[in-house]
Amino acid sequence: MSILEKVKALVHHEAAGPALELDDIQATVLFDRPDPYFGTHVLLRFDTAAGGRALLARLAPHVRSAADARDNTEAWIAVALSHAGLRALELGPDLLDSFPAPFRAGMAQRADHLQDVGPNAPDGWEAPYGSGQLHLAVSIFAPDEASWRAAMATAHAQFADLQGVTLLGSHDFGAQPDSRNPFGYRDNISNPAVEGGTAPVWPGQGRPIKAGEFILGYPGEAGVPLAQPGPEQDSLGRNGTYVVLRKYRADVAAFNRFLREHGGDADAQELLAAKLVGRWRSGAPLALAPERDDPALGADRQRNNDFTYARDQEGLQVPHGCHMRRMNPRDSKLAILTDVNLHRLIRRSTTFGPPYDPDLLEDDGAERGLFFIGLSAKAHETMEFMQQEWINHGNFIDLADERDPIVGQQPEGAIFTVPERPVRRRIHGIQSFCTLRGGEYLFMPGLKALRRLAQN
Amino acid sequence: MTESRNDLADIKRKVEEVLGDAPQLLKLALENVLREHDPHADAQPGSAGRVGRQSGKVSELTAIAPLKPGGADRLRRIFKLVNGNFAGAQKVATLHDMRFVFFENDTKILFATTYDGDWDTYIDDFATKIPDLMDLLFSSVEGWPGIKDPGVKDFIASHQLTADGWYVANPHLSVVDTRRLQRINDALQEFLDKVSGHVDS
Repeated sequence: MSILEKVKALVHHEAAGPALELDDIQATVLFDRPDPYFGTHVLLRFDTAAGGRALLARLAPHVRSAADARDNTEAWIAVALSHAGLRALELGPDLLDSFPAPFRAGMAQRADHLQDVGPNAPDGWEAPYGSGQLHLAVSIFAPDEASWRAAMATAHAQFADLQGVTLLGSHDFGAQPDSRNPFGYRDNISNPAVEGGTAPVWPGQGRPIKAGEFILGYPGEAGVPLAQPGPEQDSLGRNGTYVVLRKYRADVAAFNRFLREHGGDADAQELLAAKLVGRWRSGAPLALAPERDDPALGADRQRNNDFTYARDQEGLQVPHGCHMRRMNPRDSKLAILTDVNLHRLIRRSTTFGPPYDPDLLEDDGAERGLFFIGLSAKAHETMEFMQQEWINHGNFIDLADERDPIVGQQPEGAIFTVPERPVRRRIHGIQSFCTLRGGEYLFMPGLKALRRLAQN
Repeated sequence: MTESRNDLADIKRKVEEVLGDAPQLLKLALENVLREHDPHADAQPGSAGRVGRQSGKVSELTAIAPLKPGGADRLRRIFKLVNGNFAGAQKVATLHDMRFVFFENDTKILFATTYDGDWDTYIDDFATKIPDLMDLLFSSVEGWPGIKDPGVKDFIASHQLTADGWYVANPHLSVVDTRRLQRINDALQEFLDKVSGHVDS
């Protein structure tokens, strides 16, 4: 960095952005899901604009704001709409057209940009994803079963007797021991710190990222707000964000078989499992526990994310191609000029299905998987970037065509490279462990905008 | 590839289809070209996102835009100063080449580049990582909104033309791949020198 660049960087980062309007931002944007967590995603269709507006009006008082969510001791409700939902509310054409093109088109229509082909292609998705029917997603997050049931009853009361609205589906999630994901890993450990946010900041989150990257209406990393829908002075986007929702089926049996075939003894299998993700199943990062698991470290939020790659540029501890390092390269030296702070998502993913079983070797027919949920002021763009560059490609880390070992769609004869001395080890025959079953691009409005949508 | 009578008939049919109205000499020339053409060459042509063509991993971008008065001169002085060595472009590591051509009395610019991937994937990164290089190269273009402007992608796309014909020698080699192959070859040659025992110093 030249002296001039350093001075510019200092000036850029010293200027604090405007204070966040916490009472207008949905709690989910700034607060982690509870741990442990219970919840449900409810999917709805507006049959009439009046029905849709009535439902939003009823739900609005129950949607938690970031100002009311300083701790996660109560259940909360979050809502997000698809562009089809906004059209069903009969907004004006100018307003509808002012939303970004990928969001207007919807996730299924963007399959080419997302590389959702083959087994992940929209024509094989579950209903109602990709059909244009999903208008509203209501998510209930709760720290325990009782408050979950209570919040569900509240949500149901709002649409049970309502004309002009159809319940398309309801999907429970969570309730996993230790909040593990379908493959048995503690997940959602690392999330970006948002400048001006009030949620606790954990060591290792890195410098707070400009709020405008995640919330519409504030300056982003380039110093200016990102494009927002609606007239500039009276934006419908203000304090809102976009959501990427992707439902993945996890092939746990194939994952277990892969570890057995390529790992070696039980310890070596666990090491391979850690090399694929970058963390041991306990959540302990390889960067801090390179030889063996350290469950106490994995469970300690003060320590389990507090690392950089400065001393592991060769990837001898954390492979360049592992899931965690791909999704957040931190200070890794990348082969392509990249501003890693521009490609972050706030993750609120949720796991469903039976708890991880290490002895499952044949598909037992049970539904296992996770809803990947990513939030940002350009979540669709970031997801498309990730699918193209960081998930289904290896060029940015000088690994040619290699793909993400967990969520990548692997072609025949795919490889996973583990840097070692004197020469790297290449594991041949890695398969796809996650299949996309559906997804949507959604808009999560601020609370004022939500009430405006209810009245329009 | 062996050429059967059927192939030849097929070629003649294609020539009639494409150049039925052309002089005999041109038809014969095309026939000869097609006889050597490998229809199974593996550079599947595709789209490079919004505009432009993609061949394997490699894409093309061609843009024509009006220049501000004096813009061509300013750019020439910059090109002369850096002597074709754009350090920022080197860092980008997806750019195979860039070409700037002034025409119509310096009132217009043709910008052409070959690069890896889709064209708008990294443009936000350019805005925060090499904004000065981007603004330096394009601020002489009429209407350039600045690299940090949210509308910059639309601006570029509006000046882009998709190539009708385009040839890529190595469609499956990215800039990063090529650099790696160079490094590997250097190391391999050094290794072979040592193995052979004939190192000329």
